Amino acid sequence: MTEIRFYGEGLAGFTRTEPLPGRFIVLEGTDGVGRSTQIALLREWIESKGYAVRSTGLKRSELAGRGIKEAMRGHTLGLLTANLFYATDMVDRLEKVIIPALRAGFVVLTDRYIYSIIARALVRGVDPTWIRDIFGFALIPDAVFYLHADLPHLIPRVLNARGFDYWESGMDFLPYRDYYDAFVEYQTRLLAQFDAIAEEYSFCHIDATQSIRHVFQKLTAEIEKVLADMRPISPHEAQKELDEAQAQSLPTKRKSV
Amino acid sequence: MAQLPDGRALPGKLFIVEGIDGSGKSTQLDLLRKWLIGQGYCVAFSEWNSSPLVKATTKRGKKKRLLTPTSFSLIHAADFADRLERQILPALKAGAIVLADRYIYTAFGRDVARGVSPTWVRKVYAFAVKPTVAFYFRVPLEESLRRILSGRPKLKYYEAGMDIGLSDDPYESFSLFQSRILEEYDKMVDEFGLTVVDATLPLVKQQEIVREIITPLLGGALRAEPSAWREVLAAESVYGRYLDEVLPERSEP
Repeated sequence: MTEIRFYGEGLAGFTRTEPLPGRFIVLEGTDGVGRSTQIALLREWIESKGYAVRSTGLKRSELAGRGIKEAMRGHTLGLLTANLFYATDMVDRLEKVIIPALRAGFVVLTDRYIYSIIARALVRGVDPTWIRDIFGFALIPDAVFYLHADLPHLIPRVLNARGFDYWESGMDFLPYRDYYDAFVEYQTRLLAQFDAIAEEYSFCHIDATQSIRHVFQKLTAEIEKVLADMRPISPHEAQKELDEAQAQSLPTKRKSV
Repeated sequence: MAQLPDGRALPGKLFIVEGIDGSGKSTQLDLLRKWLIGQGYCVAFSEWNSSPLVKATTKRGKKKRLLTPTSFSLIHAADFADRLERQILPALKAGAIVLADRYIYTAFGRDVARGVSPTWVRKVYAFAVKPTVAFYFRVPLEESLRRILSGRPKLKYYEAGMDIGLSDDPYESFSLFQSRILEEYDKMVDEFGLTVVDATLPLVKQQEIVREIITPLLGGALRAEPSAWREVLAAESVYGRYLDEVLPERSEP
């Protein structure tokens, strides 16, 4: 069960108080730590145990995903704007994907949640109260796994994957012309910030310097506990629940003007 | 004095106008802008929901009806943040006069009318600059409805507040929604010290009142270079036919 608990004021118009039958699981960690690989593995593993799974991640909302990506291609996206844009993306997925899936009994796997956004904002000097206040609408997950690897482990993985990224190297605010120098400085600061946040929100710490197999086993052992009292539900059955709930909410949506 | 959230004063002046649809605030701001430019001031202008980075997303959300009260609130905050970061704040730091058509109080009114928590939305906008003067053009609901609805316009879904299901009839929904916003505005007068202007007065009278209030506050505001190109034209007796291509606004004095 996902209890209905928010970090602050919650969502406008959300009145349900009884727990949601699904499970809300978040994987957090810095660039190159192996989150997406683990999510792909976990998804298959959870499905093989008889559950329906939905996965989601930053910038994937129908409303704002494209807008953020476009804004990030340019050089004009400011700090406050970026954070509010990410918050818009987050609330759209929370209201349209995560909560409906939890209500229909899915296990929701989320590649990064509000914590990554908060960590990045804090490293850039955003007001710490402000950024936490914004996410007062965020539903508290059932479990947050923090994949942690130190810089020497991260660098080869990032290079193997897609190279250093402008934003993930902090090139938008650090005084370096070189991506490598910027990446090292940025990720060092980000890791320190993440460690503090992990403490604040009591994440489950997973050592991600070890092999993919080892990390996966650690994760499955923990997730088994989260799923322990959950009734298996086939993807087909869960999808039917989801469709029915959506069909019920459609008439108001279709009201013509 | 325009002020940062931490209380530090900015050299520029920020004048903003608020009011429900049909209060005539945009007309008043436009008159004020022309007058200030005529007086030789350097004037920047910013309009609600106009950020080039964000407005495509807002438009998409409205068109496809994807917006909920919370996402509606956040995307408008993103739009405002972009304009604050790139237009409003730099101009104020430079000492210019900034005029804004709608400001954070529009979000407080509309979002709360949609059911968003009043404390949350105020926290979301905690980064906003405190205006030098915030004018609130107060008009009775019936009068604003008469002005807006007399032409039987086609009301948009979110504009009419249809998303919160107050009524299936767009005109009735719009009226109910506007009355809720009006209630919020009235609460904000004391909370934020809004300067109320009676928007039922004749246009010219309202403009007089606005100018009277801001005139003593203009000391030290940045002045624009009085059109130097005019001197060149006069000295060389040329017409300046290619100037339109390079001057953003070739307004006659």
